Amino acid sequence: MTTSGVPPSERLTVRLRVNGRPVEHAVQARRSLADFLREDLGLTGTHVGCEHGVCGACTVLVDGRSARSCLLFAAQLDGRAVTTIEGLTPAEALSPLQESFRLCHAMQCGFCTPGMIVTATELLADQPAPSTEAIREAIAGNLCMCTGYVNIVRAIERAVAARSQDARR
Amino acid sequence: MPDGAWVGRPVPLKEDARLVAGRGRFVDDLGRPRMLQAAMLRSPHAHARIVAIDTREAEALPGVFAVLTGVEAAARSGPIRPLIPTTAVVPDYCLAVDRARYVGEPVAAVAAVDRAIAEDALERIRVEYEPLPAVVDPEAAIRPDAPLLYPELGTNVVWHDTLTYGAVDEAMARADGVLRERFTIQRYASTPLETFGVIADYDPGTDTFEFWTNDQRPGLTISVLAASLGVPQSRVRLSCPDIGGGFGNKRRPAYLLICALLARRSGRPVKWVEDRIENLTALMHACNGIMDVELAYRADGTLLALSVRDIADEGKNLVTPTQHNLIKLGNIANGYRIPAVRYAAWSVLTNKCPSGANRGIGKPFMCFAVERAMALLARRLGQDPVELRLRNYVTAEQMPYTTPPGARYDSGDYPATLRRALERFGYAERRAEQAAARRSDDRPLLGIGIASSVEPAGTNLASYEIVTGRRAASGSAEAAMVRVEPDGQVRVSLGDPPSGQGYETVLAQIVADELGLSPDAVTVSRGFDSTTTPWLYLSGNYSNKFSVTDVGAVVGAAARVRDKLLRIAAHRLEAAIADLELGGGAVAVRGAPDRRLAFAEIARTAYADVLGLPPGEEPGLEARHAHQNPLAQPVDGERRVRSQLVFSNAAHCCLVEIDRRTGLVKILKYLVVHDCGRELNPLIVEGMVHGATAHGIGAALLEEFRYDAQGQLLTSTFVDYLKPTSVDVPIVDVDRLEHPSPVTPLGAKGVGEGGAIPGPAAVANAVEDALAHLGVVVRSLPITPEQIWRWTR
Repeated sequence: MTTSGVPPSERLTVRLRVNGRPVEHAVQARRSLADFLREDLGLTGTHVGCEHGVCGACTVLVDGRSARSCLLFAAQLDGRAVTTIEGLTPAEALSPLQESFRLCHAMQCGFCTPGMIVTATELLADQPAPSTEAIREAIAGNLCMCTGYVNIVRAIERAVAARSQDARR
Repeated sequence: MPDGAWVGRPVPLKEDARLVAGRGRFVDDLGRPRMLQAAMLRSPHAHARIVAIDTREAEALPGVFAVLTGVEAAARSGPIRPLIPTTAVVPDYCLAVDRARYVGEPVAAVAAVDRAIAEDALERIRVEYEPLPAVVDPEAAIRPDAPLLYPELGTNVVWHDTLTYGAVDEAMARADGVLRERFTIQRYASTPLETFGVIADYDPGTDTFEFWTNDQRPGLTISVLAASLGVPQSRVRLSCPDIGGGFGNKRRPAYLLICALLARRSGRPVKWVEDRIENLTALMHACNGIMDVELAYRADGTLLALSVRDIADEGKNLVTPTQHNLIKLGNIANGYRIPAVRYAAWSVLTNKCPSGANRGIGKPFMCFAVERAMALLARRLGQDPVELRLRNYVTAEQMPYTTPPGARYDSGDYPATLRRALERFGYAERRAEQAAARRSDDRPLLGIGIASSVEPAGTNLASYEIVTGRRAASGSAEAAMVRVEPDGQVRVSLGDPPSGQGYETVLAQIVADELGLSPDAVTVSRGFDSTTTPWLYLSGNYSNKFSVTDVGAVVGAAARVRDKLLRIAAHRLEAAIADLELGGGAVAVRGAPDRRLAFAEIARTAYADVLGLPPGEEPGLEARHAHQNPLAQPVDGERRVRSQLVFSNAAHCCLVEIDRRTGLVKILKYLVVHDCGRELNPLIVEGMVHGATAHGIGAALLEEFRYDAQGQLLTSTFVDYLKPTSVDVPIVDVDRLEHPSPVTPLGAKGVGEGGAIPGPAAVANAVEDALAHLGVVVRSLPITPEQIWRWTR
């Protein structure tokens, strides 16, 4: 579907998958993906920190690749698969990456954390054993105002180490 | 893990389990039935008369429920009471009334069915402005011919005074030398990742206003709101959910008032969440400022006197002016023995964003000036900067030590802190590396920076008496409640809503130790609710005060509950209290483990089977306690005061590499050794040190709210206002000393601000050290590649 030339308040119907479930929704052309997820679908785990694509708090996966949901219109997502922090969290307990963040206290206020987890998920999917430098590079598009990133890097390193230990077993 | 001695352990955080899954509840995650969204129209001018506002087209837009202008706000609410005592008493309403005084000042607001329509409506509001000359530079603002923000005040200077402690002139006269230098600091802010927000609701049936907000200082805010809205405080309810970072920035009663007025007018709840441009343009900046420093010394490097002329640029800040000045005065000695001190202060209004609390308030600049002066003095005397510091530190034997303006260092070993840092940093080896690099023209320039600081915690509002000559609020206190629920589980609530400091965990650790159970059995209520949380006017998340007041409040409340548990158990077990002990969530007779009552059983007596209580014992099993730190005292006859109360300290060592071609500064190594007394949860403490240090690094190298001569903010997005990212901040290495404070209940001291205080100085000292052979003196921040290029080309 093209959205060019559509008045901003006109409603368009989008069909997509969000966290594995089919969604069909009429959205205003100007509705951002972030607002769509939060306001229309009630998925408030995706946070909005700058709305101009710098802070990374709103990062989600679109067809498995990280994307800033504040810079996408919901209407652009027709036919796509979106994964949010809710989709990366097991029904019971936490994912190994989340558990590593918890044990390393890789957050303080927790506002950046969902975006960090999404970005780190993509990194770990792409690279089995990223170096510390690769980790720092990978999360450089996600701002955290609380931690100085130290414990976030440690948490991802810990998750990598735990995974390689599991692989050896 | 077994019960007992939970305090001091690096217990992983309870709250992290929900935050890591995106299950925090932040203000923007909340909603109310029939809720509207607000948007604000803001002044494009730094200074302008508002001639007329026409809102008719906006009101006619379908979906718009209410439009509010400054004139209407002034008719329907009272002026905002200053958050601290101040001398600049002029009416200040939640919206600009007849004059806009900074770019971004709200002049009108709209409530509509969604934010997009509210913003559409803003485009339909016609404002006729008559631009006025703007005053942007604080020195210019002091001059008699400067444009005035408030002609009725007759000046832009909110406060000017000169305070002298000891024989400064004599010391300057007999000194072997006086180092004179001018330092400036830029405007910057900690910019919590969650922006400011509020939901306001009005119930006409009970004439009650209700707020959900991430305001960090609810105690004081409630009184400001009630006064402006003309309702008793008993009809203002305010709740704080999870707060996504604060650092002092999240305090703006004006925004709460705007939403309250929109809610009352529309008959609907109104939500407003600041966008990032609004946040950077108009919420709160740390004061920029100018400091002229004169440091008198003997030839051996002994400090004799310090004289500082300090101009704090407050922007349009009528609610907390002079705050930066007073806190700088309290921190002027920065851990050194300086026998005589003079402080000449100017607190100045300009046509810029209001200044306000930001991690460390004034202390980063004070420390920057003193530590830069120490570095320059070391160079002048041909001494190692380490030797100069060790010669002048207050020593452990001299504790408690009172500085000339009255700050009282309670504990710590400042020389030992620096020595530990040098050892761990490998100071001698780093110096050797640097010397080797200097012998080669194509190697990057290496610089080593050292800075140290004290980090005070807790506040004492009596210090404003220095400014106003009268006392409004004073002291430092916080309130808490501990309750054993009918099922024997424990609930705690505190008047200080955290914004990332892990209170749900550390308070559970404290109460677990006091009551002899596991932190898992203790639930700390999230956030704040004025109808259920115990609170004081002084309640809130500010001034690094947790260790100074909050811990005492919780320990005191827990002790009362413990005493009651023991009294009820003694009665039921027919034993003497002295023979009882707590453990495993039960009270037992010592040495007779079968004579034991679980908390649930004692609670059943307290809540349900009240005839089983000891004679005269009040039913229920909860207690409140408010803790006042005794160190807070009024200003004395010589105008000395403890503006803050308990002192941590730290030494930072930094190794930088400067690329000769690009001017880029890369931090190769950054080490912090700090001493915040007893660490209640080292995992939380270390995280605070990392984060605060990153704020210091950001201020040193990246962040600046830059205004042009007309008062337009040039850095109003995260594209221009640069925050440190994971590739800018090195892996900060942290080590600690632990000298417990003798004046806090568990020996803890403040740790929230520490890294942000010496960080800018440490980086600046390192950069200057790398470029000293070129005659470079770092006098201002941030040190950008452009600046380096200018110095080195």
